[in-house]
Amino acid sequence: MAVTSSDTHFLDIPDVVLTIIFSLVADTRTRNAMSLVCLKWHLLERSTRKSLTLRGNVRDLFLLPTCFRAVTDLDLSLLSPWGHPLLDSFPNPLLLAQFLRHAFPSVVSLTVYVRNPSTLHLLAPQWPDLRHIKLIRWHQRLPTLPLGIEFVALFEHCRMLSSLDVSHFHCWTEDLPPAIQAYPMLAASLSQLNILKHSSVEGFKSHELLAITASCPNLRELLATCIFDHRFVGFVSDETLLALASNCPSLSLLHLVDATSLSNVRPDLNDDGYTSEDASISRSILCDVFAGLPLLEVLVLDVCHNVRDAWPALELLNSKCPRLKSLKLGQFHGICSGVDSRPDGIALCHGLESLSIKNSADLTDNSLEAISLGCPKLSKFEVLGCKKISAKGIRKLTHVLRNTLVDVKISSCKNLNVVSLLQTMEPIRDRIERLHIDCVWKNADNSVKQTASSNGETRLKKKNKSRDNSFCSRTWSKLQHLSLWIAVGDCSGERRPCTGSLGLRYLARYPSLSRMLLDCSGVIGYGLTAPPGYPDLSLWERFFLYGIENLNLNELNYWPAQDMDVNQRSLFLPAAALLAQCGSLRKLFIHGTANEHFMMFLLRIPTLRDVQLREDYYPAPENDMCTEMRAESCRRFEDALKSINRHIPD
Amino acid sequence: MGYNLLEALNVRVVGSGDRYLVLAHGSGTDQSVWQRILPLFTPSFRIILYDLVCAGSVNPDYFDFSRYTTLDPYVDDLLNILKALGVDRCAYVGHSVSAMIGILASIRRPQLFSKLILIGASPRFLNDKDYHGGFEQGEIEKVFSAMETNYEAWVNGFAPLAVGADVPTAVREFSRTLFNMRPDISLFVSRTVFNSDLRGVLGLVSVPCCVIQTARDVSVPASVAEYLRTHLGGRTTVEILRTEGHLPHLTAPALLAPVLRRALAR
Repeated sequence: MAVTSSDTHFLDIPDVVLTIIFSLVADTRTRNAMSLVCLKWHLLERSTRKSLTLRGNVRDLFLLPTCFRAVTDLDLSLLSPWGHPLLDSFPNPLLLAQFLRHAFPSVVSLTVYVRNPSTLHLLAPQWPDLRHIKLIRWHQRLPTLPLGIEFVALFEHCRMLSSLDVSHFHCWTEDLPPAIQAYPMLAASLSQLNILKHSSVEGFKSHELLAITASCPNLRELLATCIFDHRFVGFVSDETLLALASNCPSLSLLHLVDATSLSNVRPDLNDDGYTSEDASISRSILCDVFAGLPLLEVLVLDVCHNVRDAWPALELLNSKCPRLKSLKLGQFHGICSGVDSRPDGIALCHGLESLSIKNSADLTDNSLEAISLGCPKLSKFEVLGCKKISAKGIRKLTHVLRNTLVDVKISSCKNLNVVSLLQTMEPIRDRIERLHIDCVWKNADNSVKQTASSNGETRLKKKNKSRDNSFCSRTWSKLQHLSLWIAVGDCSGERRPCTGSLGLRYLARYPSLSRMLLDCSGVIGYGLTAPPGYPDLSLWERFFLYGIENLNLNELNYWPAQDMDVNQRSLFLPAAALLAQCGSLRKLFIHGTANEHFMMFLLRIPTLRDVQLREDYYPAPENDMCTEMRAESCRRFEDALKSINRHIPD
Repeated sequence: MGYNLLEALNVRVVGSGDRYLVLAHGSGTDQSVWQRILPLFTPSFRIILYDLVCAGSVNPDYFDFSRYTTLDPYVDDLLNILKALGVDRCAYVGHSVSAMIGILASIRRPQLFSKLILIGASPRFLNDKDYHGGFEQGEIEKVFSAMETNYEAWVNGFAPLAVGADVPTAVREFSRTLFNMRPDISLFVSRTVFNSDLRGVLGLVSVPCCVIQTARDVSVPASVAEYLRTHLGGRTTVEILRTEGHLPHLTAPALLAPVLRRALAR
């Protein structure tokens, strides 16, 4: 057969071009496959891999691959055993720290679990050119540590730091200001600071926020938890906001979130939707604050205490902050009246692409209509806890914005139930990519059924009892992420779960469903401590997980139900057994603890590659007391996991 | 045994004080069950915690089925631990099966124990003529045979439902903790516990004892505490806690702690 001269092969492409092509590939598995083709591709792939997450047991650190020298973004926080002090178990930790540096010389962005300061003392000097660091700690900060010692260890060695993320790092609010003030040059060059504390329920006090922002005048991004309740010391007042704006005029991203908002509890509002206390923020000051931040692009003000009649300030947003694209407001009222379908208040911010409204007591269907007319570029819309809106308003909104909306979240709105909500999604059914709804069935007509196909990820949050999931939908061709909140009921009462189940098996209708986050941590009950005759959490586990083997899941993140009395989130026998039946699972992450012999059940899954217990909730159990999953158990389990797998690791 | 006992059974010594105190957990739990009691005693005692070889937190490979056929090897483990730690005198708090182990240990080495505190203890679980242990032979056999016939299912995690509705509450409660251990170990240890009968040796105990019982424990009838008081050889007191349940150290530590303190003082 004649070979034409125009027959060019992929390998004929010049290296420079190939390098660029390779550097655009982000998916890890694809990259791993590419690196197996031939030696040249292997070298090219390694030289273009910029981001790496190390998994594996820390005692195998000497096996660290040294071919990833181009990596600039390194994540060390997921090394096994999860949450243990990183190098403490070695007789010569400095040597290993230096080995890490040798293997990854180009790192400028680091994520690391800092159980105690020794980790930073060892690692910070290895990468003095570090630009971005994310610290993680779900365990409690040792009370004997001097204030700020961990930040000082970091700042002393990494003088080029421009971005610091401690949102998942448990420390005291008093730790940061003195350290920031001790390194003024570093503070002045800091451009991103994330102190939105998910890892505890404290908020920064007003004077701490001002001390920090005064030292960091060049901040472009600031995310912080604070206290808006005027009954507490250090609450955020008008003066605080003004001073903040004047300290950091270059802010393009600002999140100020009340500490109570992150506690993951559904809002407890009075019948009208107002909190008992108002925030001490006046709308005229808000106007001045917005005027002082002209570069603002993303703004989150999750106040958790009433800010009334906010519309004048919001109307001003449009002119004072012309770049504003994303806005989230919590407990703001009077944001848009929508009278005569004329856009007013927030609906005048026509540049908005993402809008999230939380607990706005007087938001009505008219408001929604005005917003949809006034913000034609809206692609992401969220509404939580707004009692006055109805399906009609949502439907109007989705209709008007049918060409732009791709991400919708609707939660805790009294007048909405699942069936009517799904009908409101009709205009955007074939565009929508991410959807969250609460599965509330009251007033729903159960006879409505449709058929479905969708792909991607499902996040299920379980709270109260529901009947079988018998809904599906007509083709949602672009839907990638579906998130459902399902109410279950008081699991600490005498009621046992009925013989049915949550209905996970119905999700089998979605064959491309490959990743799931199953969050049962909202379920509170008894672990070992159940009084006689009361069911314990293991019975509920069976109820939640029954049917999971019917799904083609590749990856599952599971948050077990919790026994709050003893701070236990643990896997019991039914969960271990049911999870072990998911034959296609490759990755399983359990956000809790588990006994070794329960983990051994999971070895029955032939495709299982990556399992980890991550107690990433506050406070993470101190390993001494919680004997499940000790370091030796972890090592035995991971050895067993590696030995049964005969595929080439990817 | 070819392994380091102190490591294998997760032995820990915490606290500061001049007296040793051993906290021994019962079946279906491990030493973390003492977590709420521990901080109340660490200032005044050197506390020794360990896991029974059958606990879920111990490497199951250490469970030698040919060795642990009665309670005596468990007693060996306890005494070996104390010897390895160089302890020649201590107070002992044992829950459930560890109470039985403590009784046997004190008979073998009476000088070692200054006081025995027995929580949820029973010398024999099965009923006998004139003795009410709480469980009928027939009931227990039903549970064991259900486990054995459905062993495959049980090993795969579905036995809790197989222990059916016709089985009395006591047995169901007991079986709740069964599944915290590896199934084969669990079945084996349950048989060992139910086959044990310490009534004959109670009189040989010379160490002073304190029997702590909750007002309602489905695993231990109220009469058992009185039986222990009249039959234990040493000076014995009985304390009834005004709470229910089999795990007062977990569910009611605030009630248990003062009682423990009083018992340890004398």
